[in-house]
Amino acid sequence: RTMADALSDAGDLSGGEGSQDDVMTPAELIARLEEAWLNEKFSPELLESKSELVECVMEQLTHMEENLQRVRKGDLKASVHHMEIGRIRYVLSSYLRSRLQKIEKFFPHVLEKEKSRADGDPSFLSPEEFAFAKEYLANTEVYLKAVALRHMPPNLQSIDMLKAIPEPCLDSFVFLRVKERQEKILVEPETDEQREYVVDLEEGSQHLMRYRTIAPLVANGAVQLI
Amino acid sequence: MDTRSYMPVPPGVGTEENVFSLDDILLSQERLPCRTESVFPGLGFVDKSSDSRHIPEGTKMEIPLWLAKGLYERKRRVISVELPRVYREGWRTVFGADANVVDLHTMGPYYYGLGSQMLHFDSPENSEIAQCVLQTFIGRFRRTMDSSQNAYNEDTSVLVEKLDCLERALFRAGQSGLNAFQLWEKGLASHLTASSLVTNYRKRKLADLQA
Amino acid sequence: MDPSEVEFLAEKETVKVIPNFSLDKIYLIGGDLGPFNPGLPVDVPVWLALNLKQRQKCRIVPPEWMDADKLEEIREQERKEDAFSPVPSCHYMELTKLLLNHAADDIPRADEIRTLVKDIWDTRIAKLRLSADRFVGQQEAHARLDNLTLMEINTTRDFLLDSLNSMHKLRANLQPGKSQDY
Repeated sequence: RTMADALSDAGDLSGGEGSQDDVMTPAELIARLEEAWLNEKFSPELLESKSELVECVMEQLTHMEENLQRVRKGDLKASVHHMEIGRIRYVLSSYLRSRLQKIEKFFPHVLEKEKSRADGDPSFLSPEEFAFAKEYLANTEVYLKAVALRHMPPNLQSIDMLKAIPEPCLDSFVFLRVKERQEKILVEPETDEQREYVVDLEEGSQHLMRYRTIAPLVANGAVQLI
Repeated sequence: MDTRSYMPVPPGVGTEENVFSLDDILLSQERLPCRTESVFPGLGFVDKSSDSRHIPEGTKMEIPLWLAKGLYERKRRVISVELPRVYREGWRTVFGADANVVDLHTMGPYYYGLGSQMLHFDSPENSEIAQCVLQTFIGRFRRTMDSSQNAYNEDTSVLVEKLDCLERALFRAGQSGLNAFQLWEKGLASHLTASSLVTNYRKRKLADLQA
Repeated sequence: MDPSEVEFLAEKETVKVIPNFSLDKIYLIGGDLGPFNPGLPVDVPVWLALNLKQRQKCRIVPPEWMDADKLEEIREQERKEDAFSPVPSCHYMELTKLLLNHAADDIPRADEIRTLVKDIWDTRIAKLRLSADRFVGQQEAHARLDNLTLMEINTTRDFLLDSLNSMHKLRANLQPGKSQDY
């Protein structure tokens, strides 16, 4: 079996196995992952988990790595594949890491949001992230109790994590690039002397504005945070 | 790469305070000039300058912000809180003329934080205070920005000397953006270094072996 | 974001190389590359171009804009206008650094190019500070920044966004009782 045989079938794998979405090419899959990565990096709140996307990318990587095992070391083509795999892995782990960082930063609020989620609504957390958040909360509570709270007067021994840990600030400003044209986005005034106004977000244009205004557009992929 | 495992909680800046923010904890220790509006029975020992058992009504004393917030109630007047000088009209005029000339570190160092916290005490001057604090921030913004962007590899102590704590935090954010870029530009960013944790661990292990 | 991550994104841009080897198509996850034939120009991502160059397997054809005369025009334009001029590439800074550091022998007048790009960068960063100051001073709620590049945004991101957020909270002080709902 030659290198070309081993690898030529990588191009026509369907990426969306198990998803209702239309079939994505692997290239589109990677592009989606990179978008999710940047959005997660720059949004002030934790975004919806893209577990399915992560899974599909993992499948692609595993498949490619299996193919590569059959190739002798030092092969030029194989080294190019390894480089690409390294790059994709970097994005993937950086994406997952920035989610973990946000969970650590906002854990009580993340868990509260998960608790108040209506049945049938998609979860914001992957099962692993949910377990991580719960454990993080429990560990933090145990730790605070052990080092400080148990030495306090009884009426001061409890701590309301939801109040103690600051919430994500949705009023933060963000930089964004428009992927699909949007009309009449309401810009709220900053001061009493100003009046609210609307802007059209043209495709390809870049803006600096409050996250709260455009949060739904990040969620549905119409804008990309940069 | 920004992979610190410990992320300090930032100060609340406005009227909210963050429980786990070191800056906010320090801010809560700032002393405020107060006047007692009723007798504080049995607490005379707090005031070292008097021998009486109680703190009489009308006593002037300085108490920390956290205590003042705890004792202050709008309906039942227990204490009244005076404005620290820097938020009074005289100083507000100075800030209005040129906010850049003021040494906010000496006058503060939590000028913005304490100013926001003072709004809890329902002074008739509240809206002027809030306006002045905001305009001071805006008026000094350019200078905070320029100093933070022009100081790579320089001694920055002079630049930050007169900045309030909030401005210093912004200064540091500006510096780290600039430093990261300049390290990248020089090609130093791509070198991975072992974290100090790992290095120390190795040292410890070595020390254990030698012991 | 670390500048090296912005550079990482820039490495996805394509560049022409002239290989000195032959190899048939490579089916990468992100798309097909090649085939490679000695002496025939082919488009590849920058990360691969640099790797091939390091192994002395290709010559890199600099992007059209990476030319001292063109960049001089761009620099003059940038200095003349108050607004940000369109950039030749949304990764002009990173690509200049990458290609000049790893393939300077393939790029004519490399030193001049380095200086010109640095001049353009400095002019633009000065404008960025001016507009940041204006944005803060006038307490604006929205700005359109079409021609800014990611690397430019990135050098000032934390500072500017932290400042705007602090300012927002100080402004919320003006409306007592109107607590910020999250």
